[in-house]
Amino acid sequence: MTQAKLNRPLSSEELDRFGAELDALRARTVAKVGDEDARYIRRIVKAVRYTEAAGRALLFAGLFPPAWILGTLLLGLSKILENMELGHNVIHGQYDWMNDPTLNGKTYEWDIVGTSENWRKTHNYKHHTYTNIRGLDDDIGYGVLRIFPEQKWKPLYLAQPLFAVIFALLFEWGVAIQDVRLGRWLKGKMSGAQLRKEFAPVGRKIRRQIIKDYVAFPLLAGPFFLPVLTGNIVANILRNLWTYMIIFCGHFTADVETFPKSVLRNESRGHWYLRQLRGSSNISGGTLLHIMSGNLSHQIEHHMFPDLPARRYAEMAPVVREICARYGQNYNTGSLPRQFGQVVWRILRHSLPSRPRREAVLTVDAPQDAAVA
Amino acid sequence: MRRLLNPLIAPDVFDFWASKVNSTWSWERPLARIVARRPEAHGAVTLVLQPNRHFAGFVPGQHINVTAEIDGVRVTRSYSPTNIPAADRRVELTVKQIDGGRMSTHLIGHTQVGDVLELGPAFGEMTWPEAADGRWLLLAAGSGITPMMSLVRAWAAACMPGELTLVYTARTQAELCFAAELRELAAREPRFHLHLLLTRESDAFAGAPYTERGGRLDADWLQQRVPELAAHTVYACGPAGFVDSARQIAGNRAARFHAEAFTPPALVDDVAGTVRVELRASGRTLELPAGQSLLAALEAQGVHPAHGCRMGICNTCACGKLSGTTQDLNTGDRDAEPNSALRICVNRACSDLTLDL
Ligand SMILES: Cc1cc2nc3c(=O)[nH]c(=O)nc-3n(C[C@H](O)[C@H](O)[C@H](O)COP(=O)(O)OP(=O)(O)OC[C@H]3O[C@@H](n4cnc5c(N)ncnc54)[C@H](O)[C@@H]3O)c2cc1C
Ligand code: FES
Repeated sequence: MTQAKLNRPLSSEELDRFGAELDALRARTVAKVGDEDARYIRRIVKAVRYTEAAGRALLFAGLFPPAWILGTLLLGLSKILENMELGHNVIHGQYDWMNDPTLNGKTYEWDIVGTSENWRKTHNYKHHTYTNIRGLDDDIGYGVLRIFPEQKWKPLYLAQPLFAVIFALLFEWGVAIQDVRLGRWLKGKMSGAQLRKEFAPVGRKIRRQIIKDYVAFPLLAGPFFLPVLTGNIVANILRNLWTYMIIFCGHFTADVETFPKSVLRNESRGHWYLRQLRGSSNISGGTLLHIMSGNLSHQIEHHMFPDLPARRYAEMAPVVREICARYGQNYNTGSLPRQFGQVVWRILRHSLPSRPRREAVLTVDAPQDAAVA
Repeated sequence: MRRLLNPLIAPDVFDFWASKVNSTWSWERPLARIVARRPEAHGAVTLVLQPNRHFAGFVPGQHINVTAEIDGVRVTRSYSPTNIPAADRRVELTVKQIDGGRMSTHLIGHTQVGDVLELGPAFGEMTWPEAADGRWLLLAAGSGITPMMSLVRAWAAACMPGELTLVYTARTQAELCFAAELRELAAREPRFHLHLLLTRESDAFAGAPYTERGGRLDADWLQQRVPELAAHTVYACGPAGFVDSARQIAGNRAARFHAEAFTPPALVDDVAGTVRVELRASGRTLELPAGQSLLAALEAQGVHPAHGCRMGICNTCACGKLSGTTQDLNTGDRDAEPNSALRICVNRACSDLTLDL
């Protein structure tokens, strides 16, 4: 389907009203945030702790295969919950209002090799502010994949289906080094000393994670070193695959758009909301899916309101959807198989040369948006 | 033990499990259990706290930031221990009920023996110096009696040299804290001079020693009761209004004057005005325009705090606000909560501020 059929271009006056309606929804939700949300996130912390303890305990009995399987699954589950519903959301500052130093967006350190510090920069700032703007949002293909026809094709991309699988397995490592600009160093644009300096905190975090999961806990198990080690490796991989799938569904489905830098010129609040909508896609499903995806299944709401407690997205979603319908905007949602199917198709399709469609038109009266492709 | 555990478990995770065993066990956070409660006066309760080993203690006259969780939000307020440090390491706080007050209502109405509070390190300079001879005048109003009580108790316990005068203002007889103990000390110790002033009671209820009804601390009154003010070191503590008038009366005339206010400074409603912003971590204090976002105002002064989106979404610019009132430029909401997180790109100052920057 073409973008014009999906989305009606809005006048700037319509955009202002669109933005004001979303702002009003935001204000109504902020007024409700309180005790209930605090109790919820504490329950999530509890679930993370208990599943981790149970998983690690079972792995100590990991010579017995059912214990190994259950232990690995529980540990993977714990890591997924910790990274997504807890870590990702806390780091956005969603729970800063609780004034709890253990749930503070600036200091929370999550259970993954990437540092929260780098994540705050690549994700909270670059990706959320410049969502899907080519050249500013490093999350477009993460610098290794060609997901959109607007990215320049190179023969190397023929191997992309293979890369994509390796990248999924090692996703946490990709995220960890995303902000360490290896490319600049390889091209000689950055000195070795500078690279070492940028890498130092990442190196420390990586060391801590490796020692914890691959040395300390296995050693603690004594004779059962191996089952614990393999269980930890598999749990980390399970988490990698799941987070990769959820995150890719958020921005790389079929109808998602990317934008040229020119959209930023005098971008209004309504325009910004519209860009978040057009650059994101949701996954439909039940409560379990929402919790396990850290509510990134509500990617659209998350991008519009990244600092509101994510558990509120579910109640905001129908309102957002209704507003979008009134303004003739596509609300991109679908089941996990459908959305991930579209992601896989994009990865396969754009490994081959492809040409961009006409550039997306966001507004009717701002000519810079209709920049040539 | 901590070195061994360090690679296995993060402090937060340790605290989670440790608190299941003992509610005041923690990796590094100073926590304290309420071990007793007693009414101190009408609308005032004394809480006796037993801190864990991470609390480093206090000196009489200092204050401690106390944190409690109220409706899911951790709220922090300062309180001044009223006891003196002893071998049992206990801390006694006397909390006065403030109408509509969040923390005081919680501490007085909703805490029980066994509950746990978090403590910060003790702070404040209103303490006894090494050589506390000479003459001392303590001026207290309302809950401002709390650090003074600790000072008086320390003075009495150590049989310190010199003369001590305490002027303690309360609204009514029933609201006086520690009245019996103070009167008893004044009767026993000739170098201790006590004046209890009641602003809302007239002479009709006369009777209690050292008590003046309908009295008010002003220059004439002080001149009569403490004629040699110039020979005194003066400490004053209470609501901001009281501290201001104490400063006017005694600030220039006393040998030395030090005051601490228990209520926040006035709000600047005029967006064209300026406020004083103290950057605690970098040790600077700046005069900033109140009308602008704090981020823009700081940048205009050559301070460049970390930031990203400049529109309140990425949380990069969030920093700790230690005290003061701010206003969200998008919603117009005001926030006077001390020790809370603040996004400086979308907030302006409405009062003098202290930021953890
Ligand atoms: C260094 C320091 C030491 C302190 N020591 C003590 C102490 O030992 N004992 C004690 O009871 N309090 C003490 N206070 C005051 C205490 O920190 C709180 O401000 C007080 O308990 C009110 O908090 P709240 O959350 O109940 O009220 P809030 O919810 O913060 O305020 C509610 C309303 O009451 C007003 N208000 C706040 N404080 C006062 C006050 N003291 N008098 C009159 N109105 C007020 C506010 O402006 C606001 O309008 C101290 C304050 C400081 C700065
Ligand atoms: S700079 Fe992004 S929230 Fe303030």
